[in-house]
Amino acid sequence: MIQVHELTKSYEDLRRGAFVALAGISFEAQAGQIYGLLGPNGAGKTTALRILSTMLQPTSGFATVNGCDVLTQPALVRRQIGFVSTNTAVYDRMTAWEMVEYFGRLYGLQPDHLRERMDSIFARLQMNEIRNLLGAKMSTGMKQKVSIARAIVHDPPVLIFDEPTSGLDVLVARALLNTVAELRDQGKCIVFSTHIMREAERLCDRIAIMHRGHILAEGTHEELSDRNDEPDLEELFFQLISQHDQCDVDTLASLTS
Amino acid sequence: MSWSNIKWIFLREVRDQLRDRRTIFTIVVLPLLLYPLLGMSFLQVAQFQREHATPVLLLGASAFPDSPPLLADDAFAKEFCPEKEANLLDLTVKPSLPENVTAEQLPSWAEERIQDGEYDAIVYFPTEFATKLMEFRQSIESSSEPKKSEEAGVTQATPGPQLFLNTASDKSRIARDRVANVLRRWRETIVAENLVDRQVPLIATKPFQVVSTDVARERSRRAAVWSKILPFVVLVWALTGAFYPAIDLCAGEKERGTMETLLCSPAQRSEIVWGKLLTIMTFSVATSTLNLLSMGITGAFVMTRIVAMAGDAAHIAIGAPPLAAVGWLLLALLPLSALFSALSLAIAAFARSSKEGQYYLMPLLMITLPLMMMPLMPSVELDLGMSLIPVTGVMLLLRTLIEGRYVEALLYVVPVLGVTALCVLLALRWAIHQFNDESVLFRESEQWGLGIWFRHMIRDRSDTPTVSAALLFGALLLVFRFVLSLFGGLPDSWDGYATVTAVSLVATIGLPAIIFAVIFTRNASQTLLLHVPRLTTLPMVVLLAIALHPLAFLMSDIVTQLYPFSPEVTGQLHVMQRLIDRAPNAWMVLLVLAVTPAICEELAFRGFILSGLRHMGHKWLAILVTSVLFGAAHSVIQQSLTACVMGVILGYIAIQTGSLLPAILFHCVHNSLAMLLSRFHEALPDLIAQYPIVGFFVTASDQGPAYQWPTVVLSVWLTIRTLQWFGRQQYEHTREESRQEALDHQATNVSARFVVNESCGQS
Repeated sequence: MIQVHELTKSYEDLRRGAFVALAGISFEAQAGQIYGLLGPNGAGKTTALRILSTMLQPTSGFATVNGCDVLTQPALVRRQIGFVSTNTAVYDRMTAWEMVEYFGRLYGLQPDHLRERMDSIFARLQMNEIRNLLGAKMSTGMKQKVSIARAIVHDPPVLIFDEPTSGLDVLVARALLNTVAELRDQGKCIVFSTHIMREAERLCDRIAIMHRGHILAEGTHEELSDRNDEPDLEELFFQLISQHDQCDVDTLASLTS
Repeated sequence: MSWSNIKWIFLREVRDQLRDRRTIFTIVVLPLLLYPLLGMSFLQVAQFQREHATPVLLLGASAFPDSPPLLADDAFAKEFCPEKEANLLDLTVKPSLPENVTAEQLPSWAEERIQDGEYDAIVYFPTEFATKLMEFRQSIESSSEPKKSEEAGVTQATPGPQLFLNTASDKSRIARDRVANVLRRWRETIVAENLVDRQVPLIATKPFQVVSTDVARERSRRAAVWSKILPFVVLVWALTGAFYPAIDLCAGEKERGTMETLLCSPAQRSEIVWGKLLTIMTFSVATSTLNLLSMGITGAFVMTRIVAMAGDAAHIAIGAPPLAAVGWLLLALLPLSALFSALSLAIAAFARSSKEGQYYLMPLLMITLPLMMMPLMPSVELDLGMSLIPVTGVMLLLRTLIEGRYVEALLYVVPVLGVTALCVLLALRWAIHQFNDESVLFRESEQWGLGIWFRHMIRDRSDTPTVSAALLFGALLLVFRFVLSLFGGLPDSWDGYATVTAVSLVATIGLPAIIFAVIFTRNASQTLLLHVPRLTTLPMVVLLAIALHPLAFLMSDIVTQLYPFSPEVTGQLHVMQRLIDRAPNAWMVLLVLAVTPAICEELAFRGFILSGLRHMGHKWLAILVTSVLFGAAHSVIQQSLTACVMGVILGYIAIQTGSLLPAILFHCVHNSLAMLLSRFHEALPDLIAQYPIVGFFVTASDQGPAYQWPTVVLSVWLTIRTLQWFGRQQYEHTREESRQEALDHQATNVSARFVVNESCGQS
């Protein structure tokens, strides 16, 4: 469903010149699978997902979503994904219903079909009580529900969640994770980024551990544990990251000496 | 582009704006409240002002002659000052100077009094005024020779009354006018008495009178006033009405974090920009129209009240604006508010936050206000140069329409609307570009310094210049040319002319292009297209230049006929033509006027600028913008137009051949042909006499040579065929152009591909 190959991204920085946010990552995610990007802040998770959602253009390498290239066929890609991130807010001056309806129309759904879709989504996500509530009046949890409804209104084969639980309380976060799991069970291909180990452990079928623009390790939870002889994901995570940082220090030292 | 998406975006944005209290306030409530309140306070101030008489001090009343009496009961006599005027003067009369003030001290004493506001004006009659006046009268009566009397009048001039006022104060000037009126009537009476004494008929002072009759009909008189006031007010509101929604729709959306939500929807960037543009335009037009209505109604009401107060309507000729004027105004509002909306949108898309967006209002006003003010100047009339200036052109066209000069307006409709449409499209392209530009969308605040930036420009330069570097360079070239034109006088010899032309071309166009390419790009030869072209392109380009020459000739002829040169320009051109004709060496002429400009201008325009602009991803847009800059670099506007069209062909050649050499050759041949024709046209009649077949293609008349229609037909056919040949050349795409082509290709097939993919997914 999703293929990412040697994807790099560097930003122009006035002071430092090019700043490498992604240093050639590759992975594949299949339908009916939750693919987790696990990494600390600044690991490049958001950059990777923004490239997948066509918000950013890669510096080199390529990524395809359901066979469509993100660089040359962004409009096709956008039709086939639902994107939820901390940067995709809901409109303050629109009600939940209007907001989801608006995006449904932009996806070109027919009015009858759209109404049916929305009725079922609003029921499933228990959003009927906030149907006529303006975005400005919603709590963070309600807004996140609207975002998810907005992302799935056109029933896309691929869903991309960038740290969807940030800022949510435990109850709402749990409900959200359940929703994501349900979507996977419906056969969606889901890419999910987080910096919380428990979420990755509980939810993801495959995990990529990211740090400073690199994927340090990739596989199912079991594969990762077996390969590194460390059953606890959190320990594994720290091990890999400190190893990587040590490598950087060594290279630097060898360069300077 | 899908119109239904644009519709949905438009509807959403309008609803969103209508739910915003601030927008409603500025667009609806403010104008509906503002003008009635302003009108009310204006009326009150006017009443207040009318009831106040100006205090005036009159010194030296004892020195008045007995007849005719200026004063009666410490006020001006009724015959010199009707009661209505007397009410507006609060006159204090003193027989002589105040104690302890001498005539020498009077000016400083008067200055103090007026500065203090005790009096608005002070009039002083010197002590000997009456006696001198009497002496003067007697001297004319006694003299028999009229000539002598004149001399006597000069030598024994009566010392006149002195009037002290402060011209910096309006009140003081009003007082001066009122007093001067009274004194003038008084003087006229004295003159009349003198004449009666001399038994000269009164008519002698006025042998004739100028009778002025206003031929303007009442409607056009009103139109003249309104045609200056209304457009200005309406446009300022159109700009303001566009700017604030634009900020909210772009920068505000970024700030609230919904921009990414919208961008990850399937709506294309162009659809988003169009939807937003229509919204902004709606609000711009609505704000402007509401302001116009509210102002019109209030204005009409206030005017009637003022007329009623003034008692006579003669000198206040402003009635309600004629309906036709309002109609034209509303029609002109559409292109202008489209332009303002597109500009505001592009600027707002660039801003990171609403706050940053607000900062850009000032520069925008600084640019557009002079353009709006220019038509208010009395000497500015609609001509070709003016019609090509955005905003100003529309304003002038509007004025011409309101004044009812439709034929004149018709002549300039195309250039005015063309320029406006071009500006709108460019602004829109710019806005769409910003929506595609991740560095604008996800811009974070960075510490900026000139030094850091300069280092960055050199350290992180790429093979060819960036779009902004190319535009910056283009703007710099125009500034160079402008500065140079300030110093340049017309040289009086061919050598001087040749030196000035060659040096200025190399110094302000050619050399900067090379320097910029070396410093700001990694690959100067790629930037300046210094590649060897395929050899076949060279004869083809010469053929094209020759084929195109009759067409170019015809075009410049049409342009100068439609929009004739001004006398000054004609004079200058004649001088230059004479210099060129008298040049000793034809090869020198070609070197200076064909080869040098060809090399220098191609290096700059088709080299640096076009290479940079091609990063926009649209070949034709890059060619067009380069050509507009190329046209602007020519100082005579009629030449700019033809240069602009030639620029399009030159840009096309440069891109299709991937080399600058063919463009230089074309430019060179094109200029040479024009030179040779003008230099040798005198020999043409002999040539035609000798070989009649030549006359089938060319004629020679007093106006100069002209091509016959068979030549033109041949020229069109040959031009099309050669251009087609160039069109078949495989040219190298820039990265952005390839991507744009792929994007354009996928955009048309979205629905088809989507269905295919979906079915693939299901199977």
